[in-house]
Amino acid sequence: MKLYRPATILVGILFVLLGGLTRLATPEHVYDQQNIKVEHGTIGQALDFTGSGSTVKVTRIKFARTVLDSSAGDDDKPIDTNGIYVAIEWDTVRGDRKPDSIEPTLTADGGSVYEPAEGLNNSNLDFPNAGYARAGTIVFEVNPTDMKNLTLRLRSMMLFNVYNSEIQVDLGIPTEAIAQQMADTAAPQYIVESSVTRVAS
Amino acid sequence: MESLDEVIDAMIADRVIHRHRRIWLLVIALVVVASLVVLATGGWKKKVGRTVPTLTAPATVTAGRFEYSLTKAEIVRKPKTEYDAAEANLVVYFDAKNIDSEEHTSSRVDGEMFLFVPGHGEDNVESEGASCHGDKIGWQLVYGLPPESCSVKFKVGPNFTADVVEIGVLEEHYESDNSSLGASDKPYWHNESAAAVVRLAPKVVVDGGSK
Repeated sequence: MKLYRPATILVGILFVLLGGLTRLATPEHVYDQQNIKVEHGTIGQALDFTGSGSTVKVTRIKFARTVLDSSAGDDDKPIDTNGIYVAIEWDTVRGDRKPDSIEPTLTADGGSVYEPAEGLNNSNLDFPNAGYARAGTIVFEVNPTDMKNLTLRLRSMMLFNVYNSEIQVDLGIPTEAIAQQMADTAAPQYIVESSVTRVAS
Repeated sequence: MESLDEVIDAMIADRVIHRHRRIWLLVIALVVVASLVVLATGGWKKKVGRTVPTLTAPATVTAGRFEYSLTKAEIVRKPKTEYDAAEANLVVYFDAKNIDSEEHTSSRVDGEMFLFVPGHGEDNVESEGASCHGDKIGWQLVYGLPPESCSVKFKVGPNFTADVVEIGVLEEHYESDNSSLGASDKPYWHNESAAAVVRLAPKVVVDGGSK
């Protein structure tokens, strides 16, 4: 019996080529640029999320030295920080298609990536049911020396290489001096209200 | 009817098989005895001692994304109540600083990065989880900010007592998976390994609790 018939060799070559093809589509390429649509915007702009008809808008940002849940009891002390808290008040409108859950992060020019602060029940960012809109707050603890070009990034959790979008909201801190001023004039305390759902008009 | 040749062949074969039988049996017996001796003397693998440094508290350990300064340990005893049996926890206090110069990302202290090493051949005890910033579970430590005070808890027996406890600190490494196996060659924090062992003298604290 002949061991290496032309067909066997062809199948082998096919497998090698297939391996090469999968290397072209490593997650690195998928995650960073190629099939992500980046939606840029500023405070007050309603931005489209993943083409699902849902929108996200940042209505206001507040800087504070301590934060406290509005539902906190008398025994709960405000949560302090060595840095500064940034409370981002948002407004989402849900379209007919269910949007993926979002991973919000803050980025700054210095390279820092900030994750949402823990320990606050009311701090979150999500979408209501279809036909409704929701307003709420998400709180981040940030380093006051790295706040230039603070940007809110909303990225959906991707399991597959599907066409997806990322929202980037410029929080309006173009220079170090403005960042410093924001930190200096931060409110002594910020109360995090629970999110409110209403009918989308 | 067998031919003479076949009979002679059979005789020769018989002789050949039986000629070295005793030697073969001896060799097999020797192998069995040797393996039993190796097993009885503690296995083939060479026992290596601890390969990471052993420090005495207060000690600072740089471990991957974090820098931990272990300060003190407490054995917190909860006496028996009407509803609960007596229990005890070993709580280790430390300061943690995010020194993630690779990703500059906020991250939480992972309780799995700490092990209680009882010694005497007993298994290491995994922690019940870590908390920071006023005992908050999952507190995000921001890169670039000063250290936060944290603690990690281990469950121990209700009568546990020790003059010195050893806490193993693990560290993550910023590296990528093997890209020749088809994984992305982008590095990330993973692959825990031991960084150091810290010796602390625990104080006994009784937690009266609320009734």
